[in-house]
Amino acid sequence: MATILGKKWDEALEQVKTWARVNSPWAIHFNSGSCNGCDIEILATVTPRYDLERFGVKLQGSPRHADILICTGPVTLQARDRLKRVYEQMPEPKFVVAVGSCAISGGVFQGCYGVVGHIDQVIPVDAYIPGCPPRPEAIIDGLVKLLGSLQAKGEATAGEARHDSATAHS
Amino acid sequence: MSTEATLQTAQALLAPWTKGARAPEPDRLDVLIDAADLTAAVQTLHDARWGYLAAITALDYLGKTASFAQDARWQALMASGRVPADGAPLEALYFFAAGRAIVTLRMLLPREGAAIASICGILPSASFFERELSEMFGITVTETPDPNHLFLPENWPAGVHPLRKDFAPGRQ
Amino acid sequence: MENETREKFIIPIGPQHPALKEPGHFEFSVDGETVTGATVRLGYVHRGIEKAAEERNWVQDLYLLERICGICSHAHALAYSLGVEKLAGVTAPPRAQAIRQLVAELERVHSHLLWLGVSAHEAGFDTLFMFSWRDRETIMDVLEGLTGNRVNYSVNVLGGVKADIDDARADAIRRGIDFLEERTQHYLKIATSDETFLRRTRGVGYTSREQAEELGLVGPTARAANVARDVRVDVPYAAYTDFPVQMTLDTRGDLEARFVVRIRELFESYRVVRQILDRLPAGELTARMPRRIKEGETVSRIEAPRGELFYFIKSNGSDKPERIKVRTPSICNFAVVTGTAKGHQLADMPMILAGMDPCFSCNDR
Repeated sequence: MATILGKKWDEALEQVKTWARVNSPWAIHFNSGSCNGCDIEILATVTPRYDLERFGVKLQGSPRHADILICTGPVTLQARDRLKRVYEQMPEPKFVVAVGSCAISGGVFQGCYGVVGHIDQVIPVDAYIPGCPPRPEAIIDGLVKLLGSLQAKGEATAGEARHDSATAHS
Repeated sequence: MSTEATLQTAQALLAPWTKGARAPEPDRLDVLIDAADLTAAVQTLHDARWGYLAAITALDYLGKTASFAQDARWQALMASGRVPADGAPLEALYFFAAGRAIVTLRMLLPREGAAIASICGILPSASFFERELSEMFGITVTETPDPNHLFLPENWPAGVHPLRKDFAPGRQ
Repeated sequence: MENETREKFIIPIGPQHPALKEPGHFEFSVDGETVTGATVRLGYVHRGIEKAAEERNWVQDLYLLERICGICSHAHALAYSLGVEKLAGVTAPPRAQAIRQLVAELERVHSHLLWLGVSAHEAGFDTLFMFSWRDRETIMDVLEGLTGNRVNYSVNVLGGVKADIDDARADAIRRGIDFLEERTQHYLKIATSDETFLRRTRGVGYTSREQAEELGLVGPTARAANVARDVRVDVPYAAYTDFPVQMTLDTRGDLEARFVVRIRELFESYRVVRQILDRLPAGELTARMPRRIKEGETVSRIEAPRGELFYFIKSNGSDKPERIKVRTPSICNFAVVTGTAKGHQLADMPMILAGMDPCFSCNDR
């Protein structure tokens, strides 16, 4: 009996967590050396024409409340440690989106002495949105795709939980 | 006042310290002075309410020493014995603008131990420019109110100055 | 005596902070809620563009320098193009100059509306933020239609421009401007009559004219304190001689004046944009540019949305510049934060900072 309840409980909990995460992810935006181009387009996505909040995505200030880290720009010498710290402060599970050419490859700033590299040389990245800067539609598309993959991942984890509890209790 | 008249006013004001002057463009006047006379020259412009400080920067003449052979400031610098024979100088540029007219105070500085007096006592707004000048070119600005780095990280290696010509990026 | 023994509290803000859209670091020393001093630390977005510009050729630099700032990208590209053309002894054709000015003014509209939204957000007035950014999309559509990109339009090439305007395009721009003019009237009314908003702006961050000059302020921040300095008027560039603008001044010198000056500048931009569309000169879009630029030095100054943008360009006769110095308006205007912070409430700091329209990426380069 306990075995059956444990299985169901873990499974249901995972499903609820995925449901909540996919429907209202909170995002934090960090500029690690960007020219502002991507940043203003990210800000534009939360304003009335594009309205990212219809997907439940909320931009807010503290990394400790965030599920998604939206990064823009190449990583500068002074921003590297801050970027790492912001990433470390985020609770698990966390996802990183690199927005714009510079975040993906360093873009036009490759070879500048103040630039140490691109985002995925410093922290792991889950989704890339190319463009200089990407249009707000592209940013929304990228985030929605990330949410879609979370859903798929969430279902897989729920499956794993089912498997784990089955092995643990058998 | 016409641009020419404005420039003539500046030329007259700066005459006591002028080691040479040239007009690279119709609305510009380059005034060559000694680094030691900077504060006096700036004070004069300020007292006469001539324009405003537009920018401070510098140039590195690594490998281009020959172009200074005729320059009185360069000869003075060489005579002072502070410069090794092949030590290409740095040149500090202080831009003042009044309407269309731009006056540039140009001073030659030795590559090693370059130093210049702060003008923050006269123009407090120069502070950021002086911090940038000292970290980017390694020109010590004496008595500047805040000598800390402005753009470069705190742990930036001492003695490395990005805008000097011998700095090659891509090290790391 | 008690004051001396009292501990000094320092409130650090940044580099990552909800009130800052970009990374900068401020330290405010406070006594209770009252600010007693402020210092600023920059360089979080310092990439080393001036050095990189020395290693790339004249054409590549156009695209690099445009990316100093995504908000006033055209201002950087324009100042650079005008400077390099001056060095090469080339003048862009009149139609190109008029289109450059047109885009510069459209960019000013986008930048000022963006700023209006961000500073309204800092005041806790998110409704205005959403409204002004909704309306700003009109100008983004106009810019996109004209140049093909919403941000970093790259409309300049050395020797001219690469975007042309036909009648249909001109009508689309006029329609956008008509709509925005009506909306801007509304914003002016809010900025001058909304009681709660005025409590955040009236008398806050005051600088006298003398103080503004001493702090070396530029652009709308200086003009709000009656410092009559506008490169478009003082040293007309591009087509500003044919399509002149009026300088917008205010005598009050506080945050409210900075709002009013910027909003009034919008009307001036609308007027000039219409004028250019009505009397756009015919002719070529580009002049031929040499690959190597003659040896020489030049200064190129333009009025970016935030104030005077100063470029010093030195060529050594090769296909790469010897030195490019960029002095952006924001670095001059930071003094308004450090200079006027003392005596204000800590809660006013984000507003004072937003009031100068800081651009950290311009500043740090």
